[in-house]
Amino acid sequence: MTAPSDSPAAVQPAAAAPPAPRGMAGGLRHFARRSPLSAFWGCIALLIVAMAVAAPIVAPYPPLKSDFRSMQQAPNESHWFGTDQIGRDTLSRVIHGSRTSLIVAFAAVLLGTTLGSFWGLACGFLGGRFDIVSQRIIEFLQAFPDLILAMAIAMALGSGTVTVIIAIAITRIPFGGRVIRSVVLSLKEMSFVEAARSLGASNMRIMLFHILPQCVAPYLILATTHLGVAIIIEASLGFLGVGIPPPAPTWGNMLADALNAGIVPPWWLVLFPGVAITITVLAFNLFGDGIRDVLDPRLRGSV
Amino acid sequence: MYSYIVRRIALGGITVFGVSIIVFLIMRVMPGDPLTAIFGPEGMTKLTEAQRQSYMEELGLADPLIVQYANWLWDIAKGELGRSFFRAESIGEMVLRRGPLTAQIAILSVILSWILGIPVAIVSALRPNTAADNTARVISITCLAVPGFWLGMLIVLGLLFGFGYRAPQTAAGAGLFEDPGTVLQIIVGPAFVLALGQAAYIARMARSSLLEVIREDYVRTARAKGLNGRLVVSLHALPNALLPVITLSGILLGFVLAGSIPVERAFGTPGLGYAMFNAVNERDIFVMQNLVFLYAGVFVMLNIAVDIVIAWIDPRIRYR
Repeated sequence: MTAPSDSPAAVQPAAAAPPAPRGMAGGLRHFARRSPLSAFWGCIALLIVAMAVAAPIVAPYPPLKSDFRSMQQAPNESHWFGTDQIGRDTLSRVIHGSRTSLIVAFAAVLLGTTLGSFWGLACGFLGGRFDIVSQRIIEFLQAFPDLILAMAIAMALGSGTVTVIIAIAITRIPFGGRVIRSVVLSLKEMSFVEAARSLGASNMRIMLFHILPQCVAPYLILATTHLGVAIIIEASLGFLGVGIPPPAPTWGNMLADALNAGIVPPWWLVLFPGVAITITVLAFNLFGDGIRDVLDPRLRGSV
Repeated sequence: MYSYIVRRIALGGITVFGVSIIVFLIMRVMPGDPLTAIFGPEGMTKLTEAQRQSYMEELGLADPLIVQYANWLWDIAKGELGRSFFRAESIGEMVLRRGPLTAQIAILSVILSWILGIPVAIVSALRPNTAADNTARVISITCLAVPGFWLGMLIVLGLLFGFGYRAPQTAAGAGLFEDPGTVLQIIVGPAFVLALGQAAYIARMARSSLLEVIREDYVRTARAKGLNGRLVVSLHALPNALLPVITLSGILLGFVLAGSIPVERAFGTPGLGYAMFNAVNERDIFVMQNLVFLYAGVFVMLNIAVDIVIAWIDPRIRYR
């Protein structure tokens, strides 16, 4: 799952930033024109976020309420996505699942990418022994396939929402560390840094006020491109039984429940949660691609 | 060349060592108490202090961490990998019994990913930004968004409903050559599902790499001397364009190793991934510790092998 687009060479500092400052609406129009596909899927992503926020209102039934008069029903007019073996409404559970999925993905990516980015900033800027040791540690972390590392951490910490967030966040740290470090290394050689230094700016000042702002674009690119992966890892953890413990309605848990339901799981219990994962990941991946194209035009079409 | 190989292996050795430290730290230090991991927070409260002590002694958890770590390294060196908490067989025996199946799945999936990905990349690169290229792009983006384990569940379910077919669940230890029919039935499904995601990455990488190579002077020369277009691509451009794809394939092995855990669970494949799933659910930290280390170690070593192969093929890397 190591996305090749995240190799340090792929994300460069946004030296060629958008030419003229635009308002919010102008920026959105620009975005829609540049990549209509991404804009469309960005709207889908927004809809999914809205659905997650308004889950209790949108969902026709409470996600944990079992109705013993309608157990394991195929999709019908009162239960559009059918019900599971203890009579819980699948549609409501899928809608509530978006909540967990998005909270975990956003929190984990924000936490992991931010920690990694600051680490990378320090590595690139300080260099020396700190950098050498840090690069080794990052290499050790990257030697683990990310789901396996997340599984081990989630198991060691015991299951729960916070542990899943931490587990996924730790797998995201190396990417931030690598990418931001390489960005900082090339920024450090630029003349504006030299100018600041000749004006007598301290190291801390250069790092925080001159280099850090330039890292924002690659940071945003990193964060958005990792949302999809985070959602898939969260679902996989749930599916493997080390995610957020049941009866919490997460997509991974629902798929695991379906598998545990019997030798032949009812098709609607398998189909709908997976479709939800696929659409959400697709939306966030394409939205992330669009963000990357707009923030860093040189990468357009290269990956 | 030799100095490159030696340097690469030495660096890999350091990485494997670092990996073992991280695995050990995650498994022993993070939860505070490994018994909590085994018995769960509720089971923990039911144990008396004396029971707790005797378990700790028995499992070697009462020793100082350094000693435990050294013992573990010694176990690895002996090839035993320690013992499961719940099962009679040693972890080394389990790996030997279940490992081949997962290895076969991984190899087959890499082969399938090349068979699926490269032709798509060639078509896309020769006709960039046409309908064919865009279709390929949409398909590969979709393949990356579909969770493999879910696709696996759908395939199992579809075969069951459509044809009443279910892959055999036995023959864990059988080699491909002893009982090819059964083994193939078991591994084809998981390998195909795992190949799709890899193929998507490979198609994207091979496309951009081929687009770059096609613009090179030597390809233009080949065309200029009147060589047939198909021969130019297959004999001159493709071999060079595939070098980065080989490296990518090595990196994607991480994708396969990790992905095989939920995918084996979905197919009910009795491989090593399924053992990892069991270990995580039984909270068997000893199995988990060794399997995580094994997976990471194998991943590191395969990538070293890929690097050496690339250096052997491509002299530009050797002399850098």
